Amino acid sequence: MVKIKSTQPDDELHDLEEHLAGTLRRVQPPSEIVIRLRERIRFPQRSDIAYQFADWRRLFFVFSGVMSGLLAAITIARAFFYFFGRREL
Amino acid sequence: MPDTEFNEEDVLSRASQGDRDAFGLLYGRYIDRIFNYVYYRTGNLHDAEDLTARVFQRAMNHIQNYTDRGVPFSAWLYRIAHNLVANWHRDRSRRQEIPINDVPSLPSKGDHPERNLVHSQEQDALLRLIRRLPPERQSLLILKFVEDMSNAEIGAIMGRSEGAVKSLYHRTLLALRDQLGDQNINLESE
Repeated sequence: MVKIKSTQPDDELHDLEEHLAGTLRRVQPPSEIVIRLRERIRFPQRSDIAYQFADWRRLFFVFSGVMSGLLAAITIARAFFYFFGRREL
Repeated sequence: MPDTEFNEEDVLSRASQGDRDAFGLLYGRYIDRIFNYVYYRTGNLHDAEDLTARVFQRAMNHIQNYTDRGVPFSAWLYRIAHNLVANWHRDRSRRQEIPINDVPSLPSKGDHPERNLVHSQEQDALLRLIRRLPPERQSLLILKFVEDMSNAEIGAIMGRSEGAVKSLYHRTLLALRDQLGDQNINLESE
């Protein structure tokens, strides 16, 4: 075993740099982690959904759209019932 | 994807308009680097995975705010990672040691698999010393050695001048050398 202590301070630092280069090496993330992370990013998390709904204008338009759609569906269903279903009752 | 086919400006523009596929390209390009940074700063796989996911989620949510003012996209990502890791350390309110058995579980690029199984005590000792350094110095060493960045690139991420990074690096080496001496840790020559 050779001590890092050497006569010149610059040599010491150079040795230390070599050891740092050998210790701090780039690692390969496990493939399952990479895939899991991609899934987590592709599909929004709860916090993302909450973030989207914090926008009250967007929420207003979404709510209005859903209510309008429901009203239209109910009106069409009633019309069908009026013209066709009622005779059979 | 080869660099020649990757027009980052175009991809960034598409990603900032909500194109998730474009963001996926950015993800593919930077996942390794961000994971490595977070992994060495946290010292364990579980937290590295969680924090890496949060880095990219935050980047995706705020990419409209990213404007290219001479700061590369990678620097912006590293800043997000740096802030999230800092919050993580604050939440835990204590520094966490790198679990000795955790590091060799990940293969280093360009190494023989057998070598990955052998993680010397010296390297563990050195890692422990690195983890006792102030966060900024840890970041500096990780960016320099793991990411192989220049002082100028590190300066762009840390918001410091190239000269300041060089000076900080020198002081960090001196501090590490002194700590090795204080703890009687001898490093074998490579």
